[in-house]
Amino acid sequence: MENGELRKILEVKNLSVSYGKKVAIKNVNFSLKEQELLGFIGADGAGKSSTLHAIAGVLSFEGEIVYKNYVYHSPKEAEKIKYEISLMPQGLGLVLYDFLSVKEHFDFFRDLRGLKKDKEYENRLLKMAGLYEFQNRLAGNLSGGMRQKLSLILSLLPRPKLLILDEPTTGVDPISRAELWNIVNEMREDGMSAIISTAYMSEANKMDKLMLFDEGEIIASGTSEELIESIKDYTYEGEIENNKCFSFNNRTYSLKPLNLKKASPTLEGIFFVNALKKGKKPIVINVPEKDIEIPEIIVNAKCLTKKFGEFIADNCIDLKLKKSEILGLLGANGAGKTTFIKMLLGLYPIDEGELYLLGKRIRSYEDRLTLKSKIGYVSQKFSLYKDLSIKENLEYFAKMHSLSVGETKRKIEEFARMFEFEEYLNAFPKEVPLGINQRFSLAAALLHEPVVLFLDEPTSGVDTVARSAFWRLLRKLKENTGISILITTHYMNEAEYCDRVAVLKRGVKIVDDEVKNLHKKYPRLDFEEIFLQIYKENQ
Amino acid sequence: MKMSAILKKEFLVFFRNAGLVIFILYAFTLDIYIAGKGIKVTPRNVSIGYVNEADNLIVNKIISSFHKPQFKQPKMFLNEKALKNAIYNRKIIVGIVFDKQFVNNLISKKQAKLQVLIDSTAAAQAEVTLIYLQNILMKFENNLNLPAKINIIKLFNPNSNTKWFMSLSELMSNITMLGLVLIAVVFVREKENGTWDIMLLMPVRGSLIIFSKILSQVLILMAGITISVGLIVFGVFNTPINGNLLDFYLISFLFSFAIGGIALVIAAVSKTILEVGHLTIVIMLPLIFLSGAWTPLSAMNPFIQYLSYLSPLRYYIQATQDIFFRGSGFFDLLPYFFAELFMAMVLFYIGYKKIGKLF
Ligand SMILES: Nc1ncnc2c1ncn2[C@@H]1O[C@H](COP(=O)(O)OP(=O)(O)OP(=O)(O)O)[C@@H](O)[C@H]1O
Ligand SMILES: [Mg+2]
Repeated sequence: MENGELRKILEVKNLSVSYGKKVAIKNVNFSLKEQELLGFIGADGAGKSSTLHAIAGVLSFEGEIVYKNYVYHSPKEAEKIKYEISLMPQGLGLVLYDFLSVKEHFDFFRDLRGLKKDKEYENRLLKMAGLYEFQNRLAGNLSGGMRQKLSLILSLLPRPKLLILDEPTTGVDPISRAELWNIVNEMREDGMSAIISTAYMSEANKMDKLMLFDEGEIIASGTSEELIESIKDYTYEGEIENNKCFSFNNRTYSLKPLNLKKASPTLEGIFFVNALKKGKKPIVINVPEKDIEIPEIIVNAKCLTKKFGEFIADNCIDLKLKKSEILGLLGANGAGKTTFIKMLLGLYPIDEGELYLLGKRIRSYEDRLTLKSKIGYVSQKFSLYKDLSIKENLEYFAKMHSLSVGETKRKIEEFARMFEFEEYLNAFPKEVPLGINQRFSLAAALLHEPVVLFLDEPTSGVDTVARSAFWRLLRKLKENTGISILITTHYMNEAEYCDRVAVLKRGVKIVDDEVKNLHKKYPRLDFEEIFLQIYKENQ
Repeated sequence: MKMSAILKKEFLVFFRNAGLVIFILYAFTLDIYIAGKGIKVTPRNVSIGYVNEADNLIVNKIISSFHKPQFKQPKMFLNEKALKNAIYNRKIIVGIVFDKQFVNNLISKKQAKLQVLIDSTAAAQAEVTLIYLQNILMKFENNLNLPAKINIIKLFNPNSNTKWFMSLSELMSNITMLGLVLIAVVFVREKENGTWDIMLLMPVRGSLIIFSKILSQVLILMAGITISVGLIVFGVFNTPINGNLLDFYLISFLFSFAIGGIALVIAAVSKTILEVGHLTIVIMLPLIFLSGAWTPLSAMNPFIQYLSYLSPLRYYIQATQDIFFRGSGFFDLLPYFFAELFMAMVLFYIGYKKIGKLF
């Protein structure tokens, strides 16, 4: 290539995918050059995954795809080029086998792909994922984020020419996310191209080019600067309550001029502006005020410890959750967040320490039984019945909590409107995008009006607009009903919505402070930077 | 209310698994039909008893031709009544009566008659034994040129219909297998799909969850049994029923819970549905073997006969045969009901303790 012009390696022409009657994507066209990083962004269910799967040759489609000079129209025709393409589907380690260890996964995938062993490269991948020390652990015993990272490095193992990643960093901590980009960048220098869908706008910023998907079409494309530029007229500083504009992460978006200071736009804003342009309004969240009898201290954990054999997952953790408080539990993958929540819930036996829930010392099964109806839980792993439709799932949970038929119906309608999933009510969980499934899990956890919520990464894989609605809901719930919320997240910006955060590192609590105090302590840093700083200080 | 929610959920899950539904329909219909039509069994260790009123050498000669491995050492009885009793109590399967005239008739070259009593609930065994008997007697006829005629009296399953016997046996083996699999799978599916934790956090006692889940599958089994009995046992094979069908349902219901107890143990130790499959096979074979479904109990080694008291399937099979072929009434069946109830309680207790640890 004499003039430095890079070769086009992928061309997608009039690509359409439909599932039965539902059209997932229609007439999508784009191309990809060698070494190029292409980012897909868009709301849940906008068609990103379908496009990625069609290109990877695992989904039937209409239209034509040209890879280098090879033309294919179906998964069958794509067989010939599959060895150059690597796809990582979305979801927490779906391609993993629970009863194989990390190391065995490497052996298995190497054999499957007919690869030669490259010790150095493999170790590098393992270290990047923070799995180097855990090579003998069974995949089933890894934390959610560790599973995600394992699937990710397995997809990098064959050093593909074209890498296709579907939300690879969902549930991955900021430290590993940074390291992942180093690896992708390096592989790119060796000539790899990649298409990556992501919900993290800080990652989207690193792509050469972005495509914004909306309802099965690409409605905007360009560099992130170009996209950001397009919304600068609509971005204001601060957050306000107004049903004609969206507010999130200290920005407000409005099509009509507002009497507010303009702010520098961020990529995130593009979703809100797009929603506004389509005539969408932020959902009115209506949580009736209620006075429930709630004790002052909801959770009081004293030196809780959990061991798995020799390994100490949680090491003497003290934690208090007060009435009407949102407490963010932060920490890298495998730090022990899920394990801690499971101890609170009684899903793991407590090895050492004392636990008081709602003022009651918890020692036995009986102690917990009466409390179950006061607790709501969203687990990190997918947790709906896949053979029941969304509606049937919700009805089942409602009945188990003794809600009447009328009440159930009213609640389901209310949540469907609030979380915008009315159209999916009769679908089955696996037909629905991940982010939308998360909303059902949350609805299921809220149906019985608990006084405390344990939310384990409820926003992972959920699109920006929905996350903003979600957090508004949590705040409203807290303010109007006084419930307490313990939540984990890897979106560090969401920590801003918490009253207090506790940070775990390798099973030890290293920080427990109010968010505003942390801002005082680390001025001028955003929360992701604060988090990285805290982690660095506590080696 | 909560129980109905669990039942509804389990039924929905069951019916949405087309593969499972089809397999179960197959096991309750076509498979029973094929079994009824098919299999031939060669006799092994068949127990024989005889009454020798003739007291003649020829009789001893005939009796000595029944030997191992097909037959056990024949037992002598004093009179026909004792012989019948022994058959009724399943001590022996085939009884031969040589009456006083037998030898006389033989010698005077009139037609000699031989009475054979057969427990035809073990129809396959009995039928093949008869053929043997006929062959043995034929040899004597040829050698001695003596005419002899066998007069067969079939007890309990008067038409000695292999179809009836085999189809019912197969039905019971299938109920055993499906009971184990279905009940274990309702639990293990929650483990496999990652919904186990959610189940634990429901504000109900573990016992209610366990019981409702089992009940849902027992009801599915009962529906399967109804289809099978209606369509194949009565419909195709025209099997007569001399007792009360309700008694059959009662014993089936008790049996399902006994099997449910074993299934709970399987569910407690399995992490995947595949493991359930393996364990089911490992456990099912001895259960069926010890029950007398394949070989009549009286044809077994005495030690194994004792062991067979531990198989809940034993009581189920015997009660079922009694209900269908002997026309035993409710009170005659009480020992079976109690035995099955006892097995169900013991096994259920063990299973419940085992799975209860996971709650
Ligand atoms: N059953 C188990 N056996 C052995 N180790 C386990 C088991 N469950 C969890 N662990 C280990 O305990 C550690 C903490 O896991 P945990 O799931 O609590 O992490 P986490 O903070 O929730 O991480 P993530 O952000 O990835 O969800 C991990 O190293 C994990 O591999
Ligand atoms: Mg976790």
